[in-house]
Order: sequence, then structure tokens, then C-alpha cells
Amino acid sequence: MEIVFLNALANGILLGGVLALLAFGLNLIFGVVKVIHMAYGQCVMLGMYVIYTLKVIYGVPLLVASAVSVVIMGVWGTLLHLLVIRPLLGAERLNQLLALAGLIVVFENLAHVIWGADLRGVRVDLPIVSLGNVFLKTSNLLAFGGALVVLGILYGVLHKTYVGLAIRAVAQDRECATLMGINPGRIYLLTLTIGGALTGLIAAFFSPIYSVHPHFGGSFTLMAFIIVVLGGMGNLAGGFIGAFIIGVVTSLAAVITSTEVAEIVALTIFILVVLVRPQGLLGARRAR
Amino acid sequence: MSLMLEVRGIDVFYGEFQALFDLSLEVRTGETVIVVGPNGAGKTTLLRCISGLQPASKGSITFLDQPIHRLPPHRIVELGLVHVPEGGRVFPNLSVMENLKIGSYVRGARKEFRKKLEEIYELFPRLAERRTQLADTLSGGERQMLAIARSLMSKPKLIMLDEPSSGLAPMIVTLLFEFVARIRSQGYSILMVEQNVRKALSLSDRAYLVESGRIALQGTREEFSRESYIRKAYLGL
Repeated sequence: MEIVFLNALANGILLGGVLALLAFGLNLIFGVVKVIHMAYGQCVMLGMYVIYTLKVIYGVPLLVASAVSVVIMGVWGTLLHLLVIRPLLGAERLNQLLALAGLIVVFENLAHVIWGADLRGVRVDLPIVSLGNVFLKTSNLLAFGGALVVLGILYGVLHKTYVGLAIRAVAQDRECATLMGINPGRIYLLTLTIGGALTGLIAAFFSPIYSVHPHFGGSFTLMAFIIVVLGGMGNLAGGFIGAFIIGVVTSLAAVITSTEVAEIVALTIFILVVLVRPQGLLGARRAR
Repeated sequence: MSLMLEVRGIDVFYGEFQALFDLSLEVRTGETVIVVGPNGAGKTTLLRCISGLQPASKGSITFLDQPIHRLPPHRIVELGLVHVPEGGRVFPNLSVMENLKIGSYVRGARKEFRKKLEEIYELFPRLAERRTQLADTLSGGERQMLAIARSLMSKPKLIMLDEPSSGLAPMIVTLLFEFVARIRSQGYSILMVEQNVRKALSLSDRAYLVESGRIALQGTREEFSRESYIRKAYLGL
């Protein structure tokens, strides 16, 4: 029993790394542009189909397919901003939310039309790594390591470069940022592009682990949203911690009971946070 | 002295409400000009309109012979006209150093960031002590100084200060005006909105009185301090 727990814990932590990247993207977009990207997980799903199509149908090597997915999903994020988010920036919050939620339907049905409802997987044979009694899939380890490296790079960019500082400044006080000479429109566009490229990257990490189907993204959008609320909306550090909490808790709950119950547990955490501590673990200050 | 900023006959509306009426004002190179007037007279609106945050429905604004009233705020900063908004609006979750760095965001200011930073730390030793602290943890006076210091990082030609002394303790206000005087002596042109008429007037070259969105009075410092209306209503003499 102990070994089962230990394995669940280890896998939960590994899952947490990728979830942290997912939550980072959602958080960044919310923090800067102040919209909730309801179809974020669905973008990951589309990225996985891109990789599947390139790898399985056109025989492109997985690494190349992954790189292409990052680029295509980055462009996808740019287009999403120009065609959907930017025209709605001055609109009511509810309208923004409905439009982005509508994208869930659009993306899922798009995938359905193009690739059908069957599970599509990229077959990769990687060895299993064992640490004593704990067994870890190499693909999970790679995803975890990759996610941490990318998070580290993003952290560095946000803290050490002018562009990164400008992104943070716009998130904190948009009007004052324009008085620094920052063009907020460009920062918004850049944020959605980075957010999009991240979905392509997460798709690359997920592809060797999961098979994709048109509704694959739903549970990840939900998971990312729970993490972001748990950590405090717009708070990147909170999202990082929240990702590991949710990763470990759902992984343990799945082992003790079942995968369905694990989702119930995650949602229960979500409801409790909203009831008891709506500002999240590391409550971000209210946006002006 | 050559004309640096020229505001010609601007009208500004907030929806139905008209805040400024056919207002004109100018700042010449090297001048310190102050704008005084009661709350709600439109002083802040005037600065917001010049820096591009609030559009004018009529009139023109020219900075260094270039019309700027149709430019977005970020383009206006690049020309060398910087606006320090009311209340020392620093970025709360950036450190003091990061706030100063973002001040040098505009093209042309980045290369000299390190050099400028040293100058600023010399001018404001308090900020040097607190360089790694989040701006959120600063006192009101320190925030205001950070906001002013941040504006200097963009290598401006004209600095617009909106009520730098508001909400500060009298001792801090004195300190703050010393800093403004020091900045002035370095050759920057300044356009300052102030409630503290006596102090502001003492370091100004010229002054404008704005009431109900119109220029009610204008003149040199001497003319202004002799005016009986100003003496009674604003200087309490």
C-alpha cells in the first residue's frame, strides 16, 4: 500500500509540473489582458492533433512536429487575440466570457470534423525509470523537467528583460504603463502569442503520455482554472504552488478511489477555496 | 526662450460633462510653470489630455513643434514629455529598481539605464537603500519620489507633475519641493499642478489659475503673488 501511495505521490508531482505550465499560461493571460481564456485546454488539444497529424500521417520526427506545434499554436493565439479578444476588450465581462466559452464548442467541433471522434495517439516507446520501488515513465519525467525549464526561462524573461517588465507593468497598472512608453496593445498581442505557444509546448509534453480526442481539453481547462483560482487569480507564484497541490491531490485520490472521484475532489477544493478564501492561497491584489 | 509645449484652445468632455473650455497654456524651454486652482477645476484633466490619456474634442497641442494631440500616450513619452500621475502611481509589485528600469523603457533611454540609475541613487539615497524592496512597501513620500525618479529615467525634456505633495506630511512636503527644485536646477522644464500654492509659486517662473475648466488668471511669479485675489484665496494673506 505504501508503495502505491509513493508512486501516486511521485506521479502527482510530475503531473503538477505540466499543470503549472498550463496554469501559468492561463494566469498570464488573465493577469495582463484581464480575460479568462475558457478554451485554453482546447488549444492544447488542437496542438496535440497538429503533432499527431505531422508525426503519424506525414512521418515527421516527433521533435520537429513538437516545434511546429509550438509555432502554429503561437500563431493561433495571435489570431485568437486579433479576431476574438481584441474586438471585445471594451465589452462587458460577461460577453467576453461567453465569447471565449463559445470557442470551446468551436474548437472541439473543429477537431471532430477534421480528425473524428476516435482516440489518436503518437506511439513512443520509452523505458520506465525505477527509483527503488517508485516507477516513473520517462515521458512523464521529460514533461516534468521540460515544464520546469520553460517556467524558469519565463520567470527570467519576466524579471530580467524590458519586455518582461513591461508585461508585469501592464498587468499591474495599464494606464500608468502607457505613461512609461509601453504600448499595451502590443503587450496584449505578445501575451496571447506566448500563451498560445505554451499550449503548443504542453501539447508536445502530453503527446507521448496521452492519446487525444476532441474532448481531451475540457478537463485540463477545468484543472488549470481550479489551480489559478486556488493560487489567486493573476498570481503566478500561487499558480505554481497550486499546480502541485492539485497534481498530488488528484493523483492520490485516483489511487485511493477512482479517476472520477479525483475530479470530484479537485472540484471540492475549488468550491472550498471560493467559499473560504476567494482571493486564493497567495491572494493577488485586486486589479485596478 | 523657445516654446516647448503649446496648448491651444482645447475642449475636453467626459461624456456629456465638459471639463475644459477653450483652454490655452504654454511652457517655454527651461521654465517651471505651475497650475493652481480648486479641486475639480480640471487641472488633472489638463495634464491627462496633454499626455494623451484623455482626448480633446477641439483645439491642438504642440510639443517641440510637433502636434501631439492625436498621438497615443506611449508615443508622447518617446518624444520627451513625461507625466507623473497623481498619488505617485508606482507599480506596487515591482521592486524599486524594477520601477526605475521600466522608467527607461523608451527607445533612447535604455542604453543609459545604468548611468542614469547611479545618478538617481545619488539624488535619492533613500531609493538606493530600498532598491530591492517592492514599491508596495514604501511610504507615501518615498513612492512619490520613486515616481518622480522613474520619470527622470526616460530622459525627458518636460516633466509634468500632478499634485506631488498631495497626502504627504508637511515635513515630507518640504523635502519633496527641495527635490523638485533640484530637478529644476538641472535644466528640466516642469509643468506642475499643485494645491500647495505658496510652495509651488516660490519655485515657479510663471503660473496659471484654472477655475471651472477655464484659465482665470495667468502671469509671472511676481505678477501672480501680487494679485490680490490670489493673495486672499490661495496664499491666505
